[in-house]
Amino acid sequence: MAGAVGVVGLLSFAPGTARAASDPATAATTSAATAGAGAGAGATAGTSQPCTITSTTPAAPGSPISYANLPASCIPPGEQLFAANCSSCHGTDAAGSALAPNLRGVGAGTVDFWVSTGRMPLADSSIQATRKPPRFNRLQTLEIAAYVQSLAPGGVQIPQVALSQADVANGGRLFTLNCAACHTITGAGDALYKGAYAPSLHQATVEQIVEAIRSGPGNMPRFGAGNITNQEAADIAAYVHGVIQHPSNPGGFGLGGVGPVAEGFVGLLFGVGLLMLVSFWIGERS
Amino acid sequence: MIDKSLRWLDDRLGISKGGRTFLDKIFPDHWSFMLGEIALYSFVVLLATGVFLTLYYVPSAHEIIYHGSYAPLRGQRVSEAYASTVGLSFDVKSGLLMRQTHHWAADIFLGSIAVHMARVFFTGAFRKPRELNWVVGITMLILGIVNGFLGYSLPDDLVSGTGIRIAYSIIESIPLVGSYLAFFVFGGNYPGNGVIIPRFFILHVLIVPAVIVGLLAAHLGLLVKQKHTQFPGKGKTERNVVGSPMFPTFMAKTTGFMFMVTAALFLLGGFAQINPIWQFGQYQPYQISYAVQPDWYMGWLDGALRVMPSWEWVGWGHTWPLEVFLPAVLFPGIVFNLFIVWPFLEAKITRDTAYHNLLDRPRDRPLRTAAGASVLMLLFMLFCASSTDVLANYFHIALNTVLVTFRFLVILVPIATFFVTRTICLEMQKAEGVGKRKRAVVVTRSATGEFATFDADVRPGDGHEELEAIPVPTFIDLTPRHLATGPGVRRVMR
Repeated sequence: MAGAVGVVGLLSFAPGTARAASDPATAATTSAATAGAGAGAGATAGTSQPCTITSTTPAAPGSPISYANLPASCIPPGEQLFAANCSSCHGTDAAGSALAPNLRGVGAGTVDFWVSTGRMPLADSSIQATRKPPRFNRLQTLEIAAYVQSLAPGGVQIPQVALSQADVANGGRLFTLNCAACHTITGAGDALYKGAYAPSLHQATVEQIVEAIRSGPGNMPRFGAGNITNQEAADIAAYVHGVIQHPSNPGGFGLGGVGPVAEGFVGLLFGVGLLMLVSFWIGERS
Repeated sequence: MIDKSLRWLDDRLGISKGGRTFLDKIFPDHWSFMLGEIALYSFVVLLATGVFLTLYYVPSAHEIIYHGSYAPLRGQRVSEAYASTVGLSFDVKSGLLMRQTHHWAADIFLGSIAVHMARVFFTGAFRKPRELNWVVGITMLILGIVNGFLGYSLPDDLVSGTGIRIAYSIIESIPLVGSYLAFFVFGGNYPGNGVIIPRFFILHVLIVPAVIVGLLAAHLGLLVKQKHTQFPGKGKTERNVVGSPMFPTFMAKTTGFMFMVTAALFLLGGFAQINPIWQFGQYQPYQISYAVQPDWYMGWLDGALRVMPSWEWVGWGHTWPLEVFLPAVLFPGIVFNLFIVWPFLEAKITRDTAYHNLLDRPRDRPLRTAAGASVLMLLFMLFCASSTDVLANYFHIALNTVLVTFRFLVILVPIATFFVTRTICLEMQKAEGVGKRKRAVVVTRSATGEFATFDADVRPGDGHEELEAIPVPTFIDLTPRHLATGPGVRRVMR
């Protein structure tokens, strides 16, 4: 266990190291980015296409979810980034180790979720990975995802969600049924058993929501297409994005959406407390 | 004109005698005597806003498709109760203000009852001859809690539905009669065939408020009959009441206070959102949200349920769910019964059979004060325990750690509170002038260099000012004109 903590500690120390020592990786991504910016500037690092999502494939005809096609040019820089930042736990071939799971076959979408929410690389070896500002930018994240995807087929893909085709009301019904039991009905998140917790949903992007539904990160159950169809996943994403993250609070201050405990404190401190002060003001005190 | 109509009424009803007595009623002035008035005026606001709400609320579990103005619910199957509550929040002018004010008023109604009760308890105002009024007050407290729970349940939203489910289980946990009682109250298994909403509705809007109004009349009637208690002080004895007359001084003060209470409640209702049921959705038995707590006045019961270890006993062909029965039935039963019998218990222990119109200072009764503080602290710790999950999530502590910690805290903190409070009381008794601001000491130096010290005047606000005697107003002329010898002469003729 001490060894595990040591290695993870080393990894969490990586940001500075990664940036300083991974010159090749930085160089590769920079060149790819340059190529993307200056469209038609010619082939860089032996590839003809920049690493951006240029095309998507619908999950099914008419589906609100389509999957990103990652060009092959993403893979080499992704391999370098993986080697520099992920391989110390997940292994150089992403096959996992005693410290971390096998990533072969999890799919680009799973990698995108963990990396883009900042959960990977791990901050510490506590019971649950914590959301934090991501280490990698969008381009680097896609590169790592493309590399892991290239190792084995299948898994969760990076979704593009057409929210205009989603039904928010149905999303609300499904959210209450499937998500609220842990994430709470207002999406504020709450503590689970022994230090685990359901995180707040207020920062999740639409893509991350669908990726989480499909990949089931951490303690969260994985919902396959048999449980929740693509249409339903898009509905839930639309509800979280549109209602949970932008709740309608016409009644005034929302009080954090944590329910009657906060309301009780406000009622007792501001309501009863204020009125006691008023009676102290107008009454005799001797 | 007024004079004439009053005389007309008086000739037939003889109201002037009672009115005279009432207007001359003396109310002692102390700020803590106004705490009960917060509850009284909150209740008035509750009645007024509640009448407004009943005009729009539909007490029915019948399912319809929601077509109102809150888009995320459109097209969902919801009960008429839920749809009408969302509707009165969004589609009725000032409906949300009324609903929120009603809810805040309920929270503050019970909160002010609690502080009023604490004042009565710690000053010994419940002693002979006022034990009955104490019991009436406790009954109103219990009814207030019950009615708060009923009202909280009426919108049929996910959070309150979970609460009713818990209430159903609590009733079921009563040995022998539990399941029969639960079936009797709910008309079958919860949520059953939808009879519970009309039942709760009629209890909430008619039966319980009617009983509260009756008890309130008895509460105030007894207050007038037995006269108000007062703190000991210059010119105040067990046999008199020193204070302001009902009219005009007290009337002006309390009317102003009523407006201030109403204003505070409507300010909260207008600016602080409470119970946003449109975010919760319709209650469905197969759905649940995490982080669900009841309103604060039920929080201590929820906390008791949470900290209780899961003790269950199977015997005689039955499961005895002690983990529900002990904290949710037996414990509140003990608490409320202790409240009710306390005046008689204390009189028995102290062998005190005298009349008491002068109040105790809390420090002069260290055991009573310590016992009261200890029970309050127990209830407060249980209230905090009802948010174990919120605390664990907010402070990033494991939920189990928080729960186990609270199991110790709910026992240890009240015990510590008892001894600390008792010690503070005893120490305060020994020291003179504790709790009062000391007068400033002025040091002067004379021309010859001699220093002299003397106490400064009383600080503004610290001294006791006797009110000027106010002549009794005479707008109700009690004496037939031809017999009157001067203004304000009271000679009642028959």
